[in-house]
Amino acid sequence: MNASPVHASNVAKHFGRVRALDDCSFSLPSGSVTGLVGPNGAGKSTLLSLIAGLARPTSGTVSVHGTPVRGQMHPDVSLLTQKRPLYDQFTVREMMRAGAALNDCWSAARAFEVLDLLAGVDKDARVGNLSAGARTQVAIAFALGRLPKVLLLDEPLSDLDPLARDETLRIVMTEVAERGTTVLLSSHLLTDLGDVCDHLLLLDQGRVQVAGEIDEILGDHRVVVGPAEVSLETDGVVVDSSHTARQTTALVRGGSVPSGWDSTHPDLEALVMGYLRAARTRKLARQ
Amino acid sequence: MTWIVWRQQRPVLITLAAGLVVAAAAILLLRAGMVSDLQTRNIVDCVRDGTLQACRGEGPRAFQKSWYDLIHFAQLLVIVVPALVGLFIGAPLFAREFEQGTHVLAFTQSVSRTRWMATKFVVAALPALLFVAVLQLLVRSWVNAAGQLGPLAGGPYYFSTFDAQGVSPIAYTLFAYTLGVFVGALFRRTLVAITLTLGVFVVTRGFLSTWRESTIEPVRVLSNELTDPYAGMGPGQVVKNTGFLDAKGAVVTDVNAAQAKCVPNARIEVSVEDRTACWQQNGLARSFREVLPFEQATTVHLLEASIFAGLAVLFVLGSVWAVRRQA
Repeated sequence: MNASPVHASNVAKHFGRVRALDDCSFSLPSGSVTGLVGPNGAGKSTLLSLIAGLARPTSGTVSVHGTPVRGQMHPDVSLLTQKRPLYDQFTVREMMRAGAALNDCWSAARAFEVLDLLAGVDKDARVGNLSAGARTQVAIAFALGRLPKVLLLDEPLSDLDPLARDETLRIVMTEVAERGTTVLLSSHLLTDLGDVCDHLLLLDQGRVQVAGEIDEILGDHRVVVGPAEVSLETDGVVVDSSHTARQTTALVRGGSVPSGWDSTHPDLEALVMGYLRAARTRKLARQ
Repeated sequence: MTWIVWRQQRPVLITLAAGLVVAAAAILLLRAGMVSDLQTRNIVDCVRDGTLQACRGEGPRAFQKSWYDLIHFAQLLVIVVPALVGLFIGAPLFAREFEQGTHVLAFTQSVSRTRWMATKFVVAALPALLFVAVLQLLVRSWVNAAGQLGPLAGGPYYFSTFDAQGVSPIAYTLFAYTLGVFVGALFRRTLVAITLTLGVFVVTRGFLSTWRESTIEPVRVLSNELTDPYAGMGPGQVVKNTGFLDAKGAVVTDVNAAQAKCVPNARIEVSVEDRTACWQQNGLARSFREVLPFEQATTVHLLEASIFAGLAVLFVLGSVWAVRRQA
């Protein structure tokens, strides 16, 4: 039995004929911060809700610390969903009281500690009246009050201004540094991910395209640039290539540098962009 | 957990409490005013027996003109409130959570879905049931104070008296509430849930109201007054049928044939005695009427309530299924 914080083996989730996830297998190492990326509709939110036990996989199993997830939240896991659902008519203080009431294991001290970070959140304000940044902070405090060992964040940075985005990431990184929490975080903001993530999980069409340590992944890929008239011959896999009148640029996985081509290792953003472009090309080709 | 639901339902609870205070104050004041009016007009005895000679004059009529509609309105209130409970407490209970996505918040904590569901269901229901019960008792005390000068003169089967009495209001409330909860959990939209709850509630109530009287076996009341089958009938009787018996006690099937022989050839006035004598000669020995017995009312209440309770159980099971399948 694999006792990694989160382990998925051959997980599939179908909604009728739509295959949101298909044959996904991966493990998250303990204490890692994994960026979950992929185009819209790649199955990122579905994957997070399967790990949280909100939905059951059509086949395959997800396990948390070796325990299979079956329709209920594992006590070690906290999930912050995209909509950041909170009881709007509650005050922040009442929201934290609700957290204590809903959980067997709850640390009010930890929750209030998170609320007091940065500029601090007014605890007597109604949740519905908070700014997007403060609301996210409350939602994170709510998630961390459970003292999770695995923290799942679905688009935690969407609709936050750059300052709030930066501060939210700082809260998460503080949590990781202090408590060694394993984090799986989905985001479209690649530059932010590069600063905090050490692992990458790239989904497309419900399948895992790339999974592993970011440094290794980047080392395994090359961006090669050559003249437009020469066709690219490589023993690696061409993920994506683009042509201009004068030159061809390609993202290649594995293999050696083709002779006569300039080769550099991509940064995270270029790597993910390459895969996203390829995903779109495949999608267009099918239509 | 209880606290959370209580806190979520706070606006509803405040509305219920305020509504109950206002309704109680109004009903008690009106009742006191009515009782003093009874004494002023010196018709207190008519409350017990409306057929007394003293209850036929101008005084009782004026009294009824000022009070009857008000009491009737109070009964209608007891009939309407269960529907409101279904629409505004039952229907949004889960539908609003699904709409706002807050069910995900609850589903991603330690509490099980079943416990979350059960707590929400019970904590939201109890104040509403209490409200209905207290309102029913208040209205009942007012209706009783008016007695035979009020809606009670229409008998136990008069629709507003029947529906606002006994186990019925609580049964209707349970039905409306669970219906709202189920539809809300199924369709996950508050507005859809409210609309459907209203429709299904009205149709079901209407159907069972017309059906329930057919479950009672009418009793036959015999009379020697052949020409007036309603002679000597007390107030509030529901007459389902009238007819005649022959000398052997069998029901006369062809009444018209017997009566036709007694129709005079010329346009002359025939006295009641003469007509009665003629009918008797032609085989109409006695007249009868079939009425709904008052003492059956409790049975009908229980029968109807058990149907609504059965439906409520189905709706609870349906809600459990609908919430559990929700991702």
